[in-house]
Amino acid sequence: MRALVIDDSRAMRRIVASILEGFGYETRPAGHGREALDVLEEGWVPDLACIDWNMPVMDGLQFVSAVRAVPAWRQVTLMMVTTESEHGQIVKALAAGAHEYVIKPFTADAIGDKLSLLGLMPVPA
Amino acid sequence: MSAPITALLDGETVTAVAGEVWSALVGEGELLLPGLGPVAPAVDGPSAWVTVTGPWDGVVVLTCGASGTADLTRSVLQLDDDEQPTAEDVDDVLRELANILGGNVKSLLPGPSALGLPETGPAPLRAEDEDTCRVSASWRGHDLAITIQGASEAPAHHTTEVPK
Repeated sequence: MRALVIDDSRAMRRIVASILEGFGYETRPAGHGREALDVLEEGWVPDLACIDWNMPVMDGLQFVSAVRAVPAWRQVTLMMVTTESEHGQIVKALAAGAHEYVIKPFTADAIGDKLSLLGLMPVPA
Repeated sequence: MSAPITALLDGETVTAVAGEVWSALVGEGELLLPGLGPVAPAVDGPSAWVTVTGPWDGVVVLTCGASGTADLTRSVLQLDDDEQPTAEDVDDVLRELANILGGNVKSLLPGPSALGLPETGPAPLRAEDEDTCRVSASWRGHDLAITIQGASEAPAHHTTEVPK
């Protein structure tokens, strides 16, 4: 399974990628929404995108809306991973097309639980 | 104008929030020990901060003692003990810690608020004491300070978030 990790913090990209790779994912990083769209447009369409909210250039909500506007990317599961924890923000992200929402700080177990709920936990070979 | 931060938050709550952030980001079992005494000592080192804009306007600032920045960065990025992090790595780690601290502090404040993008550099000027909540802490013997301080005017807000 493949995951795109979108966060303007290199530290956070590394932490999320390390958790996902531990679960068996192949990951690619992107520093903001526009960079992530470039990855999709070049044909690397992941099963999962983990998306920060507040980023320069293109934020997470704009990225979610952009992905949902393209039918060919409909199978990508979108999971917000963000410090935005207000109910209104969560509702806004889900309304825009995000499937799940993880609030920072999180643990590897919390990510694993969300992946299991989404049916996206890779089966060990 | 909103109530001052001291009416909205206390040091104990901020310390508890910071402890959770530390455990999740710096490493399981990494303890952030509360500083002793009622007055936080000055911490000489780089700062990272994030603005909060809403009913309460201000900044959440994390300042790390100069001696601790490399250790902190190694721990967050899971680098080897002999690996020297770059200045860019140090800034990135401090910014992300400030970002998560800021987000969690924001969730404790009244009303919807917006979080800016985190920045690093010399700490922003301190606000009036009555609109400042400052706690000191120690991690692996390195001093840290978390300052939540009001702005007299709405702070510069660098974000790409679409206004409500």
